[in-house]
Amino acid sequence: MIEGIFVEGLIYGIMVLGVFITFRVLDFPDLTVDGSFPLGAALMAQCILMGMNLWLALLIAFAGGVAAGVVTSLIHNHLKVPNLLAGILTMTMLYSVNIRILGNRANVPLLNQETILTKVSGLLADIVPEEYVLLVFFLGVTLVIKVLLDLFFRTDLGLTIGAMGNNEQMVISQGVNPKTLKSIGLGLSNGLVAVSGAFAAQYLGFADVGLGQGIIISGLASVMIGEFLILKSNRISVLTLCAILGSICFYAVMYLGRYYGYLVKMTPNDLNLIKGLLIILLLVATQSKKLKKAAFRSVVKHD
Amino acid sequence: MRFRRCLVRNKTCLVMVLLAVPLLLASMAFAAEPPKKVLIGISKIVSHPALDGVEKGIQDELAALRINAQYDLQNANGDANTAASIANKFQSEKVTLAVGIATPTAQSLVNTLKTTPVVFSAVTDPVKAGLVRSLKKGGRNVTGVSDMTPVKQQIELLLRIKKIKRLGHIYTSSEENAVVLAGIVKQACKELGIEYVETTVSKSSEVKQAVQAIIRRVDALYISTDNTVVSAMSAVADVAMKSRVPIMSADPTSAAGHPVLAAWGFDYYKMGRVTGRMIAEILKGKKPEQMPTRFMTSTSDIDLLVNLDVARKLGLTIPKDIVKNANKVVQNGKLTSK
Repeated sequence: MIEGIFVEGLIYGIMVLGVFITFRVLDFPDLTVDGSFPLGAALMAQCILMGMNLWLALLIAFAGGVAAGVVTSLIHNHLKVPNLLAGILTMTMLYSVNIRILGNRANVPLLNQETILTKVSGLLADIVPEEYVLLVFFLGVTLVIKVLLDLFFRTDLGLTIGAMGNNEQMVISQGVNPKTLKSIGLGLSNGLVAVSGAFAAQYLGFADVGLGQGIIISGLASVMIGEFLILKSNRISVLTLCAILGSICFYAVMYLGRYYGYLVKMTPNDLNLIKGLLIILLLVATQSKKLKKAAFRSVVKHD
Repeated sequence: MRFRRCLVRNKTCLVMVLLAVPLLLASMAFAAEPPKKVLIGISKIVSHPALDGVEKGIQDELAALRINAQYDLQNANGDANTAASIANKFQSEKVTLAVGIATPTAQSLVNTLKTTPVVFSAVTDPVKAGLVRSLKKGGRNVTGVSDMTPVKQQIELLLRIKKIKRLGHIYTSSEENAVVLAGIVKQACKELGIEYVETTVSKSSEVKQAVQAIIRRVDALYISTDNTVVSAMSAVADVAMKSRVPIMSADPTSAAGHPVLAAWGFDYYKMGRVTGRMIAEILKGKKPEQMPTRFMTSTSDIDLLVNLDVARKLGLTIPKDIVKNANKVVQNGKLTSK
């Protein structure tokens, strides 16, 4: 059970990193995620069935996600559509695209297929005990992605994107086009989400058009739990770590609800309610924290 | 300030530790507990009358067979990602046997539980879903019941009541079961020399519009065991009756309350009973490999419903032998079951 929680937390942690980029770094609530997650799953599944090189397939899934993000940013930038609506538009269109990619089917099984996970299990089988193979692998994958992201946000481009999320006017006054930055940020974010979807499909054993349902809520809840864990840090490496830890904690909470829910007469149907309440609780908690901090500051000023 | 941050750091550590301790304890508790009696994990994709019927049927059948079983009933709330969590839960609980109701949940169980028997139910095409290699025998530790309906016979029955040239079909593009059935309906129409007109929906709110879009181009409508469309049956029947188009349904359960000309299929509760019987055989030591996929085709499984009121309104006469074979007849607004 414990390794199951960590493996899921890490797989979806890649998606949470993507959600973190849009919601927190870009300050752009992006709902494309509900469509780009199954897009990654669908691309990966079809490439596996075609017998393509597995890492190339993962790259194609990433590219598909990037394209989805860029489409959202184009709708938002050039048609003056509010950001929420732009995301919803792309997500809606992706439903049809995903069914096309899956060959006009709703679900493509990957049981008994050679996937990245079966390959890795074969490679690591002698070194690591069987139940921890996936844990070790995803720990590696998610941390590598996290470190690459940290490095990206240290470059000039990454820093400018971060600055734009804080204060768009300032970036414009420096002579940088915020539209380009938004496209890059959204593309990167949805690329990560699609990679997460590609791994999820291999982990689940199938790709399904319904995979994206409610993913954004899980992602958002994870980001918020991560922020709750650490009050205030402006170091990107700490923030991305928080996002991943938040993801693990979120899936742990869901697991616990599933395991011990019956003790308080809770059925699996109530888990969606729990998700929503959890987010509201976290919002309240972070609000009160901020208030406390503000009060503390004003006291310091008076001194 | 520095001191404060330190405090915060410590608090974070505390939160992490607090979270980790129950998890560790829980995992230990589960690892230490040997399975005492039969524990059956049932995982369904969503709570829905047909699928709930399967779940209930399984439990009733095993109770009738005097098998003392404990159940862990799980449902993924329509979110396929959750299917993996449920499979992991069953694995750590060391369930004796797992049941997957509907395609994604069954796939997850087969993917995760390598050494535990998995019985699927309500999966239309288990071969296409990758659960078994062939219908003639089970996979390694996998077997189950398919909810494939006799599509061709259903359309032939309709042809005996009304000579049609064009058959309309509405199905959900996100439901794998429905997509598989649509392919079979198309094939059956080709074999019977009827023109096939299809349209797809992605949620139940689109159903009414979809029916309106094709109703002028068809002589009859065919409704398969499609969860989304069946849940909007009242909308389908409403539009169809206004345009005087008969409906042939594959789901007698939902057809009873609506003006549907005829419905031929099976009750999902009965399918649950059949699934329960298979589970009992496996628990008594039969190997899933030796058990072919079961279909609901024997006469005791099948329900045939005819609605004489609808036939009268549409100016059709249902042949006497069909009425005699039907075990549910609607006449003058009353349903009589034989």
